[in-house]
Parts: sequence; structure tokens; C-alpha cells
Amino acid sequence: MRLAPVFLGSLARRRMATLFSLVAIVLGVALGMAVQAVHEAALSEFGRGLRTLAGQADLQVLGPRGGFDEALYPLLAAAPEVADASPVVEVDARLAGREESLSIQGVDLFSLARVTPRLLPRAADEGERFAALADDALFLTEGARQALGVKVGEVLHFQAGAGRLALRVAGDLPGLDDGQRLAVMDIAGAQWHFGRLGRLTRIDLRLREGVAPEAARAALQARLPAGVVVALPEAAEDEAANLSRAYRVNLTLLAAIALLTGGFLVFSAQALSVVRRRTEFAFLRAVGLARRTLFGWLLAEGAVVGLLGGLLGVALGHALAWGALAVLGGDLGAGYFSGLSPRLQFQPGVSALYVLLGMVAGLAGAWLPAREAATVSPARALKAGDEASVGGGQGHPRLGLAVLVASLPACLIPPLEGLPLGGYLAVACLLAGGVLLLPALAAVLARLLPQDGPVSARLAAARLSAAPGHAVVAAAGVLTSVALAVAMAIMVASFRDSVDQWLGQILPADLYVRAGRASGSGHLDEALQARIAAQPGVGQVDFIRHDTLRLISGQPPVALIARPVAADGSDLPLVARAGGAGTLPRVWISEALQDLLGWWPGQQVALPLAGRSVPVAVAGVWRDYARQTGAVMIGLADYRQLTGDRLANDAAVHLASGVRADDIADALASLAGPGALEIARPGEIRAISLRIFDRTFAVTYLLEAVAVAIGLAGVAASFAALAAARRREFGMLRHLGLTRRQIGAMLAREGALAAGVGVLGGMLVGGAIGLVLIEVVNRQSFHWSMDLHVPWLSLLFFGAGLVALAAVAAVLAGRQAMGQSAVLAVREDW
Amino acid sequence: MLEIQNLSRHFNGRVVLREVSLQLQPGEYVAIVGESGVGKSTLLNLVAGLDRPDGGRLCLDGEDYGQLDEDALTRLRRDKLGFVFQAFHVLPHLTVSQNVALPLWLQGLDAAAAAVPASQLLDAVGLAERADSWPRELSGGEMQRVAIARALVHCPRLVLADEPTGNLDPANGGKVLQLLATRIREAGAIGILVTHSLEAAATADRVLRLTPEGLCP
Amino acid sequence: MQRRRFLLALAGLAAAPAGAVEFAPVLPGRRLAFPADHGAHPDFRTEWWYATGWLKLPDGSPLGFQVTFFRVRTGLGEGNPSAFAPRQLVLAHAAIADPRLGRLRHDERSARVGPGHAGFDTGTTRVWLGDWRFELGPGGYHARVQGADFAYQLDLQPDGPPLLQGQAGFSRKAADPRHASYYYSRPQLRVSGQLTLDGTAQPVTGQAWLDHEWSSELLPEGAQGWDWIGLNLDDGSGLMAFRLRDATGKALWSSATLRPAGQSGQVLPPEAVHFTPLRQWHSPRSGIDWPVAWRVQVGRRLLELQPLIDDQELDSRRSTGAIYWEGAVRALEGGREVGRGYLEMTGYGKRIRVG
Repeated sequence: MRLAPVFLGSLARRRMATLFSLVAIVLGVALGMAVQAVHEAALSEFGRGLRTLAGQADLQVLGPRGGFDEALYPLLAAAPEVADASPVVEVDARLAGREESLSIQGVDLFSLARVTPRLLPRAADEGERFAALADDALFLTEGARQALGVKVGEVLHFQAGAGRLALRVAGDLPGLDDGQRLAVMDIAGAQWHFGRLGRLTRIDLRLREGVAPEAARAALQARLPAGVVVALPEAAEDEAANLSRAYRVNLTLLAAIALLTGGFLVFSAQALSVVRRRTEFAFLRAVGLARRTLFGWLLAEGAVVGLLGGLLGVALGHALAWGALAVLGGDLGAGYFSGLSPRLQFQPGVSALYVLLGMVAGLAGAWLPAREAATVSPARALKAGDEASVGGGQGHPRLGLAVLVASLPACLIPPLEGLPLGGYLAVACLLAGGVLLLPALAAVLARLLPQDGPVSARLAAARLSAAPGHAVVAAAGVLTSVALAVAMAIMVASFRDSVDQWLGQILPADLYVRAGRASGSGHLDEALQARIAAQPGVGQVDFIRHDTLRLISGQPPVALIARPVAADGSDLPLVARAGGAGTLPRVWISEALQDLLGWWPGQQVALPLAGRSVPVAVAGVWRDYARQTGAVMIGLADYRQLTGDRLANDAAVHLASGVRADDIADALASLAGPGALEIARPGEIRAISLRIFDRTFAVTYLLEAVAVAIGLAGVAASFAALAAARRREFGMLRHLGLTRRQIGAMLAREGALAAGVGVLGGMLVGGAIGLVLIEVVNRQSFHWSMDLHVPWLSLLFFGAGLVALAAVAAVLAGRQAMGQSAVLAVREDW
Repeated sequence: MLEIQNLSRHFNGRVVLREVSLQLQPGEYVAIVGESGVGKSTLLNLVAGLDRPDGGRLCLDGEDYGQLDEDALTRLRRDKLGFVFQAFHVLPHLTVSQNVALPLWLQGLDAAAAAVPASQLLDAVGLAERADSWPRELSGGEMQRVAIARALVHCPRLVLADEPTGNLDPANGGKVLQLLATRIREAGAIGILVTHSLEAAATADRVLRLTPEGLCP
Repeated sequence: MQRRRFLLALAGLAAAPAGAVEFAPVLPGRRLAFPADHGAHPDFRTEWWYATGWLKLPDGSPLGFQVTFFRVRTGLGEGNPSAFAPRQLVLAHAAIADPRLGRLRHDERSARVGPGHAGFDTGTTRVWLGDWRFELGPGGYHARVQGADFAYQLDLQPDGPPLLQGQAGFSRKAADPRHASYYYSRPQLRVSGQLTLDGTAQPVTGQAWLDHEWSSELLPEGAQGWDWIGLNLDDGSGLMAFRLRDATGKALWSSATLRPAGQSGQVLPPEAVHFTPLRQWHSPRSGIDWPVAWRVQVGRRLLELQPLIDDQELDSRRSTGAIYWEGAVRALEGGREVGRGYLEMTGYGKRIRVG
């Protein structure tokens, strides 16, 4: 440790470069930590919610959203494996005339007490002994009461069918956390008022002692009709985790790239510092410092920066997470966990891991420079050479090319447990290859630069061409961050463009009439459907029915959409279709379902409809951005014939010619009670959808901005690191008659060139990564395709702006070496 | 003609240079020797326009440049002065030819136009065949010859050389000094060589000793 | 009896919104007809089959047992077409008084009548809730209970026709004849079966008492609690007595029926029934002082009651909000044991809440 001042003191001497490296690592660690902590908080809250609902249930019987026949309940309750069975009708009830909806659990509180006692309601009026059984009594958690702004004793109006339903807030749910938002009412009232007579959506089972859940699951499943599955309660938790995992992995990947950029900054700072101190090391080696000791100490310099960055980053990450939870919610605005107020928890293990990651970034950054410094022979280094040259040369173009090419087979790797690991590997290959090819790119660029122009330009160009090492070191960080930003920009732009187009295709009608939200409590009965169709001014009306299907145990339910579809599916955004027409009912599956089940166009499959297994033909595959868990589209006529269900949720209204949408909208709205029907224009739906889209990607933009800032910091750091070393060079140039401004211009041009190399490489690599994100990562994690849309103009402005900023950063970083003192620096020689 | 009259400089109340006077005609090449700390560097900085005197006059070809602003001094250095440093200060990322051409670039010549006088000068210092080499491929003596070429390529009125052989072995040093003297005389410039070494000083036309009392032969 | 209504109140299920539904009234002069009246009477508000008695293990050690099935018409959901509409509920309580444990083992079940596993018959005694059941077959009654830490299957064999309480089964509860029930008992039931304690099944025998009672009206105003006994005397006779207390502990209404072996029952008027507490037991859990030993005067008989164990307190505050004492007692006359039966005491902590 006696040598600590020699080495670690060096960090303090080059404060600027150390600070930049530190900031980059802090940001990388902080982002990763924040994403992790926020998501962990949201997931654990979500899981806790599910566990509360599941209570002591060993198994859960789940069906489509429309539910299943209640006759299954006595069947299961009497099963020898089952000790207690608790039937549930779950309704996502929309508040009449309001945007909010509330998850209402219609329960039999007698069975509830033995399976999920924490859901037991508590009546506010103790004298009213039957409160919990009354069909108009509702019991809310504290969170739900706050969210909806109601007090006990007040009345909430819900949408039920196309009508309004008044429910009394009769008490609370003392067994549940305040953060949860849900309500409990009697199962009979829920069945009656929400049109679920004869139906259940869930049965929670407690098994007899000694019965293994897995064995019981298999035995019970065999007795259930198609479309009803028995699942372990954890599976429901997995459903949520699966749903948001891809999104979380994407965010974590962004954080990882920020950290990687931080590692690059440590690398550049160390590389430059090591070059400057070459003589010092040579002297130390000459007086007996072992090569390994020197190597170790130089690694320690990086490790200290990384450790400090990791510690600060974890602290900052928790602060960020706290802020993000408060502002954006547990899903960071992505909409996966509505109705939760997660709480942040400090996880020592994970935090330690992130501190370690920061340290690893510091170590990795210091590795190469340390090795180089340790291998240089002291005799050569003692001879004062040119101090400012940084190793580099032509880099490793062959290796770089090989790594780049390796990204292609990586793209072909199928997803592992739903995670697009092959895609991420390809992204890593592209980044690594890009960095390895950077010196070659710099050389090409230098050759292309004009030979004439102002002296500053000639000097900067000559420097890039003859000594690209410095530029490459600075550009590596820029390349990484620009590649990330460009890839995300291309992906997001393509996505948004495709969603926009898709919305146009999926919303062809003039007006949409909706009874509550698709998942909610409202519906259009036949009488109302007839009234809508008979409304003067209304041309053709397409009614749409929404339900869900349980196709795979342990996976979220799949959406079922029944609406009039052209025989060839030409009114759907098809990506594949089957030739020929069979006699079976035709269905069109979304891309997600195709990926999940492997169904192909033309295949005969079985769908569980109305408790029966119905053979249908897959007529095509359509693009669906709305339902990540998959969707099946079936013709409304087929659906009605197969199920006998004649209700509808939405109506797509085409207006008769010459009729204005505004005139007809009010007339349609007044067909049912006030607030019962929602009339939407495609334009509004589109605007809302795109707003949700933009909110989802808000965090992505933030991460990109931070990554770019880190990249710029890299430019500044490398110039700051070399500024002192180049003081004599600047001094000599001042002797020869360069003005201070000319030296500034030279630095600006050098910064712009270094950044330019990085930006150019970053754009190329980023474009490739963007393709990987679109074709592999998104396809595999979200199961949807999109059309490539490159925002050329934005990218151009972005690149130009970055180069300009880099120029400014270089000048600012080199400023201290440009002053009068720099002129006098040459005095050391005089 | 370079005229130095009663030049004084003090730092923080301490007098470093007291009333030094000197007059040099074009083509005249003098060596200034003196003990360490006697003010050689200060005198050279003042003459080079890198520092301003507290008293006295500095005139080059009749222009008093003692109190010019920084930009004017920069232009003066660019147009009329040439420098040879002890540590060569050849830019590593420029070729030999580009290094020599640098002062011409500064005067606004494009690369092609600057290359012609640069190659002539390189020829004159015997490095014609190394024009496209990189400085790292040169020996110390060669490097200093490049520096001499650079100092003279733009036909300066005054060439300042500071211990130009300090980093060279005696044999190479001798050659460089001879070359420097020859080139300055041929260019008709005023040359000032600052050195410790009397042997080196002997290559100049005359030798002046800087003492606390001033310059004396 | 009101005590059962009290238990319904404990279960949180006794009150219904007045006027929402017409409950069948209890009127004097209706003849009870069997076997139909063994079955359930769903038009009335509350009904129960209440069996209590003493059991003997093979080693001779005594235990008390209780099994009760309640049927409740809630007055709710009458117009709701849902199969889960909570019109009728079935509840069951079961307990074992275990001297070796020194307290009660207790468990309970409740369910609405609907899809699933709870229901009742109207033609004969048959009421069930999951795998708990109580039913009348050709060989007598059969009770099956599967509790958390005990289980039993018992056959209960009657020794004669039902004992009609009050005026031929019309049992008044207060001076106001509105407060009345239809009520008959089956004293001197011979018990045999199997009892499982801590996982060990053992054969048991014993004597029990069954009440079947249904009514629609509430307790009279001012009732603080009550004391009830049902005793099988060694001479083959059976004795039921109860009194309602007001807040001062004074009797509001009393009644008793004595059935000598092989004869029909003699109903005694309220003034012929006197309850006198002899000894208090202080519950360390609830802090309530229970008069666990009594002197009861019924006509000319003067009986002293001593509990099988003092702690037969049943704490159901968590689910129902009340604490009561329901336990096996010995009946002594002149210092000599003359019979065994059950004692129930309510309203010694907080005032009972009925409706």
C-alpha cells in the first residue's frame, strides 16, 4: 500500500478524466439499478397481490374471460383431492361515465374463509350482519377507496351491460394491503348484476392434506372441459412476469450499454494516462517495481473508480427508482401493472451485484492499458519519446469483421424461455465488431479528408490520419452510445410508424360504439344492437365480441375477437394467409399466437369455445400490436353459431353517405343510459393509442439521452486527459504563430473528427442493431413484426448535433492547455 | 535590424533582467552564454514576443513590438520569427515535409504551394530523401535538422535557437550547429543562439555573456 | 330456543332487513307431523338440529361432544336468479370437551345452499355441509364431523317418540306469544361410533340429547343472556330447562320439561324453574367469570350441576364477536350423581346481540 500515492494519487491529479469515467459508471450502474429496483418492486407488489388473491389456494381453475359453467364448481368441490373450493366471478367493472375501472371479485365468503381468508370483507356497520351477502354491497381496499375517491356508505355507479348499477360501499377489506386496488362483493350479486349468471371465472382450490398439487392438477385437468385449465397459483405470477419480462430485459439492456460505455471511458482515461506516465512507470520498473505489481496497481486505479462509481450508482439508482415509481408508476409508464402502488425495497444482494458490476467495468476498462504499460520495456520508455501517441494503428480489422459476421448466425438462435438471447448476442457482436473496426474506419475517414483548408483543419486531419489512437479511444464510447441511440430510434420509429398504419387498417369504420372497456363489465345486448343498426344515418354496422381463451396452462389467456371478417381476411393486416377454403370455420391468428403455439396457415386446430373443443382452420396470420399474449379472430357469424353468445362489446359503425359523424354520435350515445355507451372516432382512438405508445417509450428516450451524454463525456474525458500532455505541442504551435483561436479550432476539429468517426461507426452499427431489434429481439420477445422505417432527418440532425457538441466538449476540455501558460510551457526547454 | 534598448523585467519585485541593450544587423549571428538563472530564458522570451518587458524597447526592422497585443505578437512570430528548440518539438503526426511546411501553412499557403519551399529547405539540410518519413523514424540529429528547416522555411527576419544541441551527441551536435550557422547566414537573417556550451557558442559570429550587469562581450 | 338464535347471531347471520321478506309465523295449535317435521322448514327464519352428549372412551374416560347444524333464511337474494343467491345458509358447529386437554376442541363450517356441497331435505332430517352431515335413517340419527384436530362419526339411537316441548311443540320464549318456536327434543339417545383425536381413532359409546327447533321471531327486548340445560338422568328420564336473564341477572322467562322414562313430558311453568349459581370460574383468556356450577330447581327436583371441566369456554370473537360457555355437566342430587348432560351460558361478557 505504500505505493498507493504513486498510483491512486494519479487519479486525483487528472481530476477531470477521472470524474468523467466516474460519472459514466455511476450513470450506467444507476440506470441498471433503477430499472431493476423499480421492476422488482412492481413485480413483487404484483406477485403479492396475486398471492393475496390466491391465499392458501393450492391450485386455481381458470377459464376464458367470459368464464365457464358454474356446474364445474360442485364437481370440483366434491373431488376427492379437494378439501375446499372457492368459486369466484371476477369482473373488471368500469365506473359509469368515468375512465377508471375496478376489479371486483364476486366471492362466496363462506368458502373464501377457508381458502383465501385475507379477502374477507368487514362491514362498516356491525349491526348489519348480512352486509357481506347483500347483492348491492361492495367492499373496497383502502387503495381503491382512495383511487376512486369514495367513502364508506357512499354509492358507486358501475356500467353493467349497457345500464348503470349502483353499489353501496359497505365496508373494507382489512386483510389486504392498502396499496392494492380491488373490491369484493357477493358472488350471487356479481353474477346477477354483471350478466354472469351460471358462469364462474375462477375456482380456488385447497387440496386435502398429503395431496401433491402437481398430481392433483393432472387428475383434475382431465375432468375439465376444453378451455378451462388448472394452474398452480405461481403460474399466474409467472404470467405477469412473462408479460413484462421482455420489456424489463430491454430496459436492462439499455442500462448495460450505458455501463459498457462507462467501461470504455475508464479505458480511454486509463489508456491516455498510462501513455503520459510511461516514463514514470519505466523509472519505477528500473528501480525494481515488478511487472505484476505495476499491472496490479494500474488495475487498482480502474477498480477504485469502478467501485466508487458502483457505490454512488447504486445510491443514485435507488433515488431514481424512487422518483420513477412516484412519477411513472411500477411499469415505468408501460401499462403492465395498473392498479398497483409498489413500494421500493432495498435488496442487499442485488445492490452488491450492481456495485460489483461497476467495479468490473472499471477493471475491464483498465485492463488493456495496464497490460500495455506493464509490457513496455523500461529502457525504451525511459528514452523520452513522443508522449502523445496512443496505441492503435489499424486495430484488429480481421477480428472485427469476423465478430461482425458472427452476429448473423446469432440472429438465428431461437428464443430461450421467451428471451431473445440470440438477438442480444448479435447486438453484442455488432458492438464489439464495430469497436474493433473503428481504427480502420478512422484511417479510411482520414484518407478521405481534404488536404487543404485552414491550418487547424490540416493539423487535425493529419493527427487523425497519423495517430488515430487518440481519436479511436474517444470514439469507442461515442460509437457505443450512438449505436444504441440510433438502433433504438430506428426501432421506435419503425414501431410507431407500423402501429400508426396498423391502427388505420384495424379501425376502418367512421364511429366506434363501445359498452365499457373491452375487458370490462359492459356489453351490447341484442335489443341494443338492433337499435344501433336501426338508427337513421347509420349504414353498415359490424358488431364485435371480445372474450379470452385459455389455450396453454401457465400462459396468460389469449384474446378472442369475433367480428365480421372478409372470407379471405383481406380486411385484416395479414402477414400470411392460407390458400384454398375448407368447410371448417376459419380463424385468423395473431403473430404472437403463431410464435407461441406454432400454428401455421392452413392448419386444422381445435379452439375451446363454449366449453367444447371446436375444430377450426387457421386461414391466416395477422399483425396485432394490441395483445402481446396472442389473439384469435373469428367471423362473428361463426362465433355466434358455435357459442350461441349473441352479445357484443363494440360496434363499428359505417355512416350512410352524406351523414356527419358529429350528428350521429349523440344520437347513438342516447340509445342507452347516460354514460353507458362510449362513442369514439378512429382519430381519437388513434391519438390515444399513439399517446400511450409514446409514454411507453418515454423512459427509452431518457436512457438514450443519458447514453449519448456518456458518450460525449468520453470525448471530453479523452481530450482532458491529453490536454496536459499536449501542452508543449500547443506551446510550440503558439511559438510558430498559431493564435489561441486557431488552436481552439484545431481542438474543435479534432473533437469533431473523433466524434465523427464514432458517430459514423455508431450509425452503421446502430442501423444493424436496429434491424436486429426489429427482426429478432422484438419479434421474439413481443411476437410482432414491423416495417422498417428509418428517421433519416432526425438521425442526420442527431449526428450533426453530436459532432458539434463533441467539438465544444473537446475545446472545453483542452482549454486549460491553450492559455498563455501553455506558451510558457515550452520554457521548460529554454 | 534588431534593436534592444535598456530592456528590463522583474517578477514579483525581483529584478531578473536589468537594462540590457543589444543591436544586431541582418546576417549577424550571435551566441549568448551565461550562468543559470542569469536571465537568458527571460531575455529570449522577451525577444520572442512571448513576454512583455517592464521597461526598455524592442525593435525589429524599426517596428517596436515590446507592447503589442497578443494577436499582433502572434502575427509577428508567424511572419518574422523562427524557432529551434532543445527538444526539437517536431509534431509526431505530421510527416517531415509537413512539419517543415507548417509555418508556410500558417501564412495561408495551401499544401501544394508550401511543399515546394519545404522541399528546398529539406534539400538544404540534407534530408531531401526523408521528406515523407514520420518523425518517429528519424534520429535526434535528423529531427533537429528538420526543426532548422522549419525555422527558416518562411524566411524569418530573426531566428532564435535555444540549446539546439542539448539533446544531441557531440558529433551530431557539431553538424547541427554548423548547419544552423550556415543557413542563418545564407538566409540573411539575424540569429541568436542561447547555450551553455562555449564550444557551441564558438560557431556564432560573436559571443556575448549575459551577467547581472548586462550583456558584455 | 333463544340460545340457538344467539349462536346464529354469533355467526353473524341472524338479522335480516325487516319487510324485505315474509317469514312464516310460529302460531299455537299447529300439530307437528312426523317424519315431515324432522325435515327442514325453509320458510322460517332459523332452524337447528342440536345434539349434545357424553361419550366414553374404551378406557372409560369421559368426553363431551356437541354437533349443531343451523339453517338460516337470510331474507336476501329472494329475487336473484343466481344459483349462488344467499337465500338459505347452512352452518355447523362441532366441539369435543376433552378433560385431558382441559378445554374444548372446536371447529365450524358455513355455506350457502347452492351449487356445491351444502343443503338440507324437507322430508326428513338430512342436512349436510361438505363432508359434515347430520341425518335420520332407519337406524336412528347419524352425525359425521371432520374438524381440524378431531373427527367423529356417531350413531344416535332414540329411545322413543319425539318429546314435544311447550304446548305440543309450540314453545313460548317470553310473555309476548310472538316470541315462540316449534321445538321438540330427542332425549336419552344411545350413542355409538368412532372418535378420532390427534389422528387416533377409538370406538366410543354414550348418551346424547337432540333438539330440533325452528322459528322466525327475535328474542324479547331486554334479554342479556340465558342459561340452558338438557340432562339425561340415569333413571331414563330427561330434563330440559332454560331461563332468560335481563341486564341485572333477573329471570325474564323460564321454562322446563321433565320426561320420566317411558312416559310423555310434563311441562313446568316459569315460576317452577330456578337457577342459582354456586361457583365461578375465571377465564384467563377472556377475563369473564363463568358460573360453572349451579343449583337448579325444577318443580320438586333440586339438582346440582358440576362441569366436566371448568374451561368449556368457546371463544369465537375472531369470526363472530362473542364468547360463550357450552359444556358437559354432571347432575347431582343429594350429593349423588343422577345424570349427565349439557349446560349453555351466554351474556356473561358483553350483552348478547341478537339482530
